[in-house]
Amino acid sequence: MAEDPTKSQTKEPLERIEALIARVTLDDRSALSELYDLTQAKLFAVSLRVLGERQAAEDAMHDTYVKIWKNADRYQVTGHSPMTWLITIARNTAIDRLRARRSHADVGAYSETLGSSAPTPEQSTLVASDAKRIVQCLDTLPSNRRAAITGAYLDGRSYAELADAAKVPLNTMRTWLRRGLSALRECMEQ
Amino acid sequence: MSKVHEDDMLAAELALGLLEGDALTEAQRRTVTDPEFTKRMHGWEAHLANMADLPPVNAPASVKRALMTDLFPDAVKPPLWQRIGIWQALTGGALAAALLFALMVFPMQQPQSTGPLYTAEIASEIGDFRVVAVVDKTREEVILTRTIGAAPEGRILQVWAHGPNEPAQSVGLWPEGETVRLALPAEIAAVRGTLTLGVSEEPIGGSPTGSPTGRVFGTVDIPNVQNAI
Repeated sequence: MAEDPTKSQTKEPLERIEALIARVTLDDRSALSELYDLTQAKLFAVSLRVLGERQAAEDAMHDTYVKIWKNADRYQVTGHSPMTWLITIARNTAIDRLRARRSHADVGAYSETLGSSAPTPEQSTLVASDAKRIVQCLDTLPSNRRAAITGAYLDGRSYAELADAAKVPLNTMRTWLRRGLSALRECMEQ
Repeated sequence: MSKVHEDDMLAAELALGLLEGDALTEAQRRTVTDPEFTKRMHGWEAHLANMADLPPVNAPASVKRALMTDLFPDAVKPPLWQRIGIWQALTGGALAAALLFALMVFPMQQPQSTGPLYTAEIASEIGDFRVVAVVDKTREEVILTRTIGAAPEGRILQVWAHGPNEPAQSVGLWPEGETVRLALPAEIAAVRGTLTLGVSEEPIGGSPTGSPTGRVFGTVDIPNVQNAI
């Protein structure tokens, strides 16, 4: 057990997470363990938000970190910041589970949301603040477009489901959503 | 609508998971063949990920345990003793062998035990450290034997214990050797119910703070601890 310079406490959390992902590509188990400890609360929040139910969120967490372990070498290719990459995997994994559940049967059960514990200062600053803009820009959209984008991203809704929920024809929903995305793009480029 | 704009919308729909059927297949194909399109999709992913930047919620510890067990089955610690009695646990080979080894190294001077004997295993999640512990309530001692791992160069092991909702306190230092025998401090000997044992690595001379400062290799909860009769 030699001293490992990447374990230095003085590094910024994001750099540390990036270094840990790099070590995970080399099958370093202790790096995965540390990466898990540093990021689990952020990713569990995503799983819970999408799946709305603790047991399903826990199962999704398991899948998420298995993917991280197996696909860490793809991280560099995306050009993402480390937390973007991890959150995207967590979101996509949770959405996959949600859709599998919906296609099996009852859609109704997942809307329950759960309380969250307070963030630690370190964890709440993991995602770069400059990219926060989408959240502000979303607030400027008409509510039906905002709801469509949020419904797709965080609730895994298809165009058909979104149209159903809003009681509009599918083509209208597609137009709403694309206009919403266009407006977001414009807002974010300002 | 311009080609660039149309691509941007498609990339966003792909990132959102809204494409289906042929449109999905075609867009996925482009993420392999069209770097410009892939860059747009990753750009949307990055923006959208901020919608999922939520206040942290700690996952239960069982999630990590199950994950590590699944990924690294060779590093698994069998928590058998948690569910079954010590005599049944003794039939489990490795644990029994290590326990017997510990007892051979330190043979009991009082063969007529009047207090219970508890056995437990402390193992790191990644399988690089493993200790068998025997708590002897007759003698109010804990005997620990390393089966895997050691303190890093220039460091020593330190044994910790605590009762329910109490802070860990030092049981003693384990500077060298595969086995150590430590007398339980009075507060630890007095614990009823769940007794937690742990091992950390510390500077030579032990933790300067009275709490673990180095890596905690692992802890174990021994339920239903009772006193000598």
